[in-house]
Amino acid sequence: MKVLLVEDNERVTQFVLKGLTESGHTADHASNGRDGMFLAASEPYDAIVLDRMLPGDIDGLAIIEALRKAGKRTPILILSALSDVDERIRGLRAGGDDYLTKPFAFGELLARLDALTRRSQVESVQTRLEVADLRMDLLTRKVTRGDRDIALQPREFKLLEYLMRHADQVVTRTMLLENVWDYHFDPQTNLIDVHISKLRQKIDADFDRPLLRTVRNAGYTLSSHE
Amino acid sequence: MNEQGAARVSLPEAGPRHLRALRSSALKLSVGYIGLGLLALVLFAAPLWYAWRVTIEDSRMAILQADAQRLAQVFRREGPRALAGLLSERVGLQIANERLLLFADPQLKPLAGNIDRWPAQVPLTPGFNTLRLQLDGHETEVALVHLLLPGGYHLLVGRDTGFYVPLERRFWYALLGAAVILSTFGALGGILIRRALMARIHLVRQTVSAIMLGDLTHRLPAEPEGDELNTLSQTINRMLNQIEQLVHGVRNVSNAVAHDLRTPLAELRVRLEELSLTRPAPEHTFAEIDAAVSDVDRVISIFNALLRLAEIDSGMRRSGFVPVDLAEIAAAAVDFYQPAGEIKGARLQLVRADTAPVRGDPVLLAQAISNLIDNALKYTPAGGNILVSVSRRADQCIELAVADSGPGIAEGDRSKVTERFYRGDASRGTPGVGLGLSLVEAVARLHGTMLELEDNHPGLRASMVLGQDTRPIERPATAVPKPGELQHEPVYL
Repeated sequence: MKVLLVEDNERVTQFVLKGLTESGHTADHASNGRDGMFLAASEPYDAIVLDRMLPGDIDGLAIIEALRKAGKRTPILILSALSDVDERIRGLRAGGDDYLTKPFAFGELLARLDALTRRSQVESVQTRLEVADLRMDLLTRKVTRGDRDIALQPREFKLLEYLMRHADQVVTRTMLLENVWDYHFDPQTNLIDVHISKLRQKIDADFDRPLLRTVRNAGYTLSSHE
Repeated sequence: MNEQGAARVSLPEAGPRHLRALRSSALKLSVGYIGLGLLALVLFAAPLWYAWRVTIEDSRMAILQADAQRLAQVFRREGPRALAGLLSERVGLQIANERLLLFADPQLKPLAGNIDRWPAQVPLTPGFNTLRLQLDGHETEVALVHLLLPGGYHLLVGRDTGFYVPLERRFWYALLGAAVILSTFGALGGILIRRALMARIHLVRQTVSAIMLGDLTHRLPAEPEGDELNTLSQTINRMLNQIEQLVHGVRNVSNAVAHDLRTPLAELRVRLEELSLTRPAPEHTFAEIDAAVSDVDRVISIFNALLRLAEIDSGMRRSGFVPVDLAEIAAAAVDFYQPAGEIKGARLQLVRADTAPVRGDPVLLAQAISNLIDNALKYTPAGGNILVSVSRRADQCIELAVADSGPGIAEGDRSKVTERFYRGDASRGTPGVGLGLSLVEAVARLHGTMLELEDNHPGLRASMVLGQDTRPIERPATAVPKPGELQHEPVYL
């Protein structure tokens, strides 16, 4: 995908650009609000990564508002050193699609970018989810793998649903906390791993091919590919 | 206390200005008092002076009239010669030098008396006159009674009022003297008051300077029962106590921050330095780098916890209060921590009311509950019990409680555990930053309640009571928009 990065810190810029290139994406960069606004308005991007505070008179929120007003629907991920929930809400209200607090892990950024671009593509009223031979019926709330029924607790069901909706993408622990448990804070435990391993026990243990895999330094992925 | 040192640091700009202000205020005060004293003096002297004038002049005239009538009687009974003789005798006796007498014939030729000729200013009609006369070579004021006697004779009986001038002068001198004494004492009093005031203010300034140098143990001298300045000193001392406590708290926190941040930073440094020195095989290097990243994550999480505490303490989050169901939040937290209980071999249970509507910040309440559960899990031994309960009390308030069967907290330590970075003896060696309970306490405070810690026999029971929200819950459990949920509806902030 083609990504625009608007960020004034050089180190962060290099880190993100290098990471994006290495994972097979192309990226443009602007180091101030004016250039960022110009590029975002004139070039077609799949996603924009935008620093909340930028040098000059145009800050991140102003760019978002201007783009949305002009009818641009490009997914925007806001980067910010301001972690307050209020700031987060402001960013999302202004028209951002996701919010990531600095400092962040690159895996987290990439996973969220992936989620954003996919969402803008699919996201529809689905009643069935399928990954390889794992099937989930959202109406009857039944989960099967192959021809075997899998009994899940409500929360496990929600967890699996999120993973299946983001199949073949990396999903980070924070994304799971936010979307499955609605926890917008760091509970300082590795409990997500425990929940995942319990889920893995149910969907993968008796099968030759594991679907739910751990991605080092990033999170998890539910994938049909090896 | 080194006075010079104190003077050097003391309020460089404000000091002299304060001094000037005080000086002028002491000056104004004493000038005011002196003026008031003088006014009192004048108000006292003026009626006295007036009474004196009136009484003396009236009685003087009466005496002169009586004297004149007496002499007129002599004239009527015994004739001009007898009167002239009487007058000459009286003048000759030289009693009452101030008395002026003149007996003159119809042609105004003096027949007897101590005035050598008829004063030109005296009108020829009888009556009472006050005039200035040239007498014995000096001019003086006289009061005269002029009688017209049968046969055209004139009689003047008068009094040299100049005789009383020295007395009057003495009166004025006395008044002036009183004024001078008053002013002197007033000024002296002003100076003394100012000096006493300055001495005490100097003491205050010294103390304040010492405090500004960093020694917060200094206090202003103050007796339990004293004057207004004493009361002021006591108030300032109370303020200083509070400041000292705050500074102490801040110092504790920064020490704790220093310690808790330094430990992961030190580990990080050692790790990186070792890598740079030993240059181990790539696999080992990567493992070390991963460990270094998690060291950094630890530092970041401490920062985040501190920032969040500061954010809560600032009270700004109250604006984000929405109706939430505390029972739902607790259920989600129990659900989240269930696997941890299983791993530990402790039983984590939830007892909940059907609904527990409160007004609050859902994110913070969730964090508070999960901190309490996390804390309970940490200290509960295998086979122990943790009971999370959300119940509606008889008074319709909602109580959230997390009770464990761990070692509990000694009564004396209960107030300390909510201090930032405090970690009880029992917690040594368990992971954690020591901010968990202080965050819960801060969240409770933000919601207008308190975190209560009680003995659970055995174990600890942590609880807080929130007021029930009577409004219906519109949007349960979340105030934070899901990514994209609010998308494309710009709100201009």
